[in-house]
Amino acid sequence: MTVLTTAPSGRSAGGGHDPEAPMIEAVDVGKRFGSVPALESVSLRVPRGSILGLLGHNGAGKTTLVNVLTAMQPASSGTARVAGFDVATRPKEVRKRIGLTGQFAAVDEQISGRDNLVMLARLLGADSARAKARADELLEAFDLTGAAARRAKTYSGGMRRRLDLAACLVGNPEVIFLDEPTTGLDPSSRMAMWEIVERLVAEGTTVLLTTQYLDEADRLADTITVLSAGSVVASGTAAELKAQVGQRTVTVVPEPGSDPEAGCAALRRSGFDPSVGRDGTAIITPIDASRDTATVIRALDEAGIEPAELAFGEPTLDDVYLALARRARAA
Amino acid sequence: MTATVPTEPGTREPSATEPAQRWDGSSVVTQIAVLTARSLRAFAGDPGLVLIGLIQPVMTLFVFTQIFTNFALAANLPAGTEYLDFLMPAVLVNHVVQTSSQTGIGLVEDLRNGIVARLRSMPIMPSSLLLARSTSDLIRSAIQVVLILVMAWGVLGYSPAGGFAGTVLSALLTLGVGSALSWAFLAMGATMRRTEPMQNISVLVMVPLMFISSAFVPIEELPDWLEFVARINPLTYAVDASRAVALGLDGTYLVAPSLFISLAVAVVSAFIAIRGFRKPL
Repeated sequence: MTVLTTAPSGRSAGGGHDPEAPMIEAVDVGKRFGSVPALESVSLRVPRGSILGLLGHNGAGKTTLVNVLTAMQPASSGTARVAGFDVATRPKEVRKRIGLTGQFAAVDEQISGRDNLVMLARLLGADSARAKARADELLEAFDLTGAAARRAKTYSGGMRRRLDLAACLVGNPEVIFLDEPTTGLDPSSRMAMWEIVERLVAEGTTVLLTTQYLDEADRLADTITVLSAGSVVASGTAAELKAQVGQRTVTVVPEPGSDPEAGCAALRRSGFDPSVGRDGTAIITPIDASRDTATVIRALDEAGIEPAELAFGEPTLDDVYLALARRARAA
Repeated sequence: MTATVPTEPGTREPSATEPAQRWDGSSVVTQIAVLTARSLRAFAGDPGLVLIGLIQPVMTLFVFTQIFTNFALAANLPAGTEYLDFLMPAVLVNHVVQTSSQTGIGLVEDLRNGIVARLRSMPIMPSSLLLARSTSDLIRSAIQVVLILVMAWGVLGYSPAGGFAGTVLSALLTLGVGSALSWAFLAMGATMRRTEPMQNISVLVMVPLMFISSAFVPIEELPDWLEFVARINPLTYAVDASRAVALGLDGTYLVAPSLFISLAVAVVSAFIAIRGFRKPL
């Protein structure tokens, strides 16, 4: 039995929705506030049961995009479909199928955790008995049973976020939007949140997650879209993004007594662009593909340099983000 | 955390035994009822608020009656009317007006703490929350009005000439006025979205409205210019109408105009409130 969600599998969404079609699809979405553009021609696709990480700094347009996709604000241009329904023309159908957790835990602090969940289930159309059953189920799944009767005001930050996430799952949404779900959480609460998100996706839920944390996107997201100043500046898997921006490097530390400069000269003759590391011994060579490694070793060998240590450098998502941000500023 | 993950991705039955748990939305009446219950529960669950809610009517009643009764105003009161009788309808109106000003503050809190954002992402009518806020405050006011009347009757011997029926009708009229004003405060909350200016404005508006009216003294007692202001003050009509009904005096013809003014205030305010509430957070 599945507690968190029962909706997505074996049940076709309304509107003649094709199960293979993306659960979230934005095509050229633009949004202007007066004359200020907040989003410009944003397109993205999120297949069923996957996580899209929407990465960007404050003011990049992440929350505006979430607002458009959750039918809270109309787009100024372009179209968006969520769970098979157009957000502009069928907002109510969209709202029946989504869950949203905003940047701040949106729970009613004045009433108990259980009352919060019961209230939401009732608003979604459950009768009193079903609403209570659903609330208890979620409280159990989110480890909040002990605090169920307490006012949400007394909850810790992590508990509040868990209640908030439980709140967005009350109606068994097919798609959930998590807007910076771990901002301000301590490390263990963050880990707990990540595990919950992974569990939801394993159960078939589609997730759009916005984050400023690169490790979070790297860990959770199947694909990542980087937003900067309202535009998509990059998208792809974490590996693709890393390949796109930062280059991989191979670092060779020669046996003591070798002259690294001689090695560099040999590598340049083979068409590489090596440099000597700050310690004065390591030879660092950017490479395009794994097979270049063999060429590098062979060239060094021919120059009489024996490698004592060999290391590969992968760019981190931080490098990707900084490089893209630099590029966006320069443009 | 109790794991509820299916052991293998493919093992999940397409919910033949479990009923599909997507509900198809609730009626507007349910929405309002659920959200009203939520406001009342938040109030009832807070001992501090309940205590203040109980003390406030007592304060209103005793402070006003004890202070004002000592003024020698009896000369201008309608024949056979004690000052307590004269004052009671105004005490009720004043109290209901005070309570209604809190409706707007509650709405601003909802706008700020994320509840409104959550409700907007759900398939419900956005103005349900406004209607619920207004309804829950009406219920709170009604309970407090009953408390004040019972205390006035039991402790101070309030026994107006209009009898039980007159008292009930006058209380209903008062609640109608309060409800209309609560919409004005909801409109303020939905458009301003900040509590501090709202509190300042409500004091700035409500103090003159209450005091430059027929609420606490017969308006003939006021200086000429204040008397003029009092005569055009809509609250004067509300208080006079409520008083006429409770005390069985002439002036019941004022009931219709006060209801009309209240309705007009409510309709215009509701329009502004709904429009303001729609704006992005």
